[in-house]
Amino acid sequence: MPAHLTTDIELVPAHHFTFEQLTAIYNQTRVDYMVPMPMNAARLAEYVATYDVDLRHSLVAVTPSGEMLGVAMLGLRPGRAWITRLGVIPSTRRHGVGRALVANLIEQAAQRSIDFVMLEVIKHNTPAHQLFLKFGFREMGELLILRRAPRIPPPTPIVADAERLDRVDAMDLVKRDRGIQPWTNQSESLFNAYDVSGLRLALADGSRGWLVYQRQKFILTRFAFKTEAGDPATVAYALLSHLHHQYPRLDTHVENIQINDPHLPAFYRMGYVEAFRRIEMWRGTPPMGFS
Amino acid sequence: MTKILLIEDIPDNAELVRRALSATGYELIHAADAETGLQMALAHCPDLILLDLGLPDYDGQTLAGWLREEPALNATPIIALTAWPEETARLMVESYGFDGYICKPITKTRVFVAQINSYLKTHP
Repeated sequence: MPAHLTTDIELVPAHHFTFEQLTAIYNQTRVDYMVPMPMNAARLAEYVATYDVDLRHSLVAVTPSGEMLGVAMLGLRPGRAWITRLGVIPSTRRHGVGRALVANLIEQAAQRSIDFVMLEVIKHNTPAHQLFLKFGFREMGELLILRRAPRIPPPTPIVADAERLDRVDAMDLVKRDRGIQPWTNQSESLFNAYDVSGLRLALADGSRGWLVYQRQKFILTRFAFKTEAGDPATVAYALLSHLHHQYPRLDTHVENIQINDPHLPAFYRMGYVEAFRRIEMWRGTPPMGFS
Repeated sequence: MTKILLIEDIPDNAELVRRALSATGYELIHAADAETGLQMALAHCPDLILLDLGLPDYDGQTLAGWLREEPALNATPIIALTAWPEETARLMVESYGFDGYICKPITKTRVFVAQINSYLKTHP
């Protein structure tokens, strides 16, 4: 690794690379992570489409001789941007690659008149966390990644007036105000995802709410939910009881639930366990009406 | 001959396991993703499955769920390979029905082989 590398980093727009190449560089950057989350090309392509990642404004760091050093991607939605998939190959860390990538992504967003940038960093990834703090990102809270194994016996559905929702009805609910959500859980992520449907129910005491989710081949994921009346934990438990009764053999992977979410007790009661945590960070001011 | 299926996407890690087990006389077969791992498990009915939790298509927890659904593999010991903190690894192992876990990185070959032997002995 040349000592003068910082001045020799070239940042190439990610759309100049194939998904196979991007997957290879991304996986190499994560090889020593506690939670490596490797991807294949198909998963990365789905990720890019679901989360509005703009590869023209995402970057691969290379040396002048073409050696890959790192990658960082930029999601773009009206009035906001998202830094994701940032990683530097272990042997080339601490030479300014990550700093160059982040600075350039912020600049890319600014050129599009976006000064509000969001990201999540895995808790205890201190070097990345420190890097983001230096760029003026501030901590907004912790996010939980929860799992529920399919081997847990299916629950008895709570007695309720329950209705399954097709994609159109589910999308109608998702676009209603749910407060400020992490990027992965924003309405656009659900609009972009395939096989999305939902559940809506009302309990005898008048409590009511809904849950929208994506059903993949082996996994339930991408949850969006809201309690419209009543106790959130009670409504969430009822919704989850119907969901897991309907899909007893599917693994469940729920990302980025805010740690203070009032629905959370229902997840633990239903057998979900915490896999790991992320810290949500923001830079700049959210646009008016952002939710 | 005792057959071990390793499901691990990182070539260097797979090579490390292959070298560690080379003197044991066990037959090691290898898959680099979950879908291939499931197919190989069904085709070969191994005596033990070493399963990395971070795989590029579906993760190790999800794959463990599929493997446990297969009657032919129901009693096969599945051991998680993970770099997660011990507490999290234990939680995932219990929750997803693994028979145990081995923490990565594998630094001491002798300890690793002893762990494998022990899992094979307790699941003959």
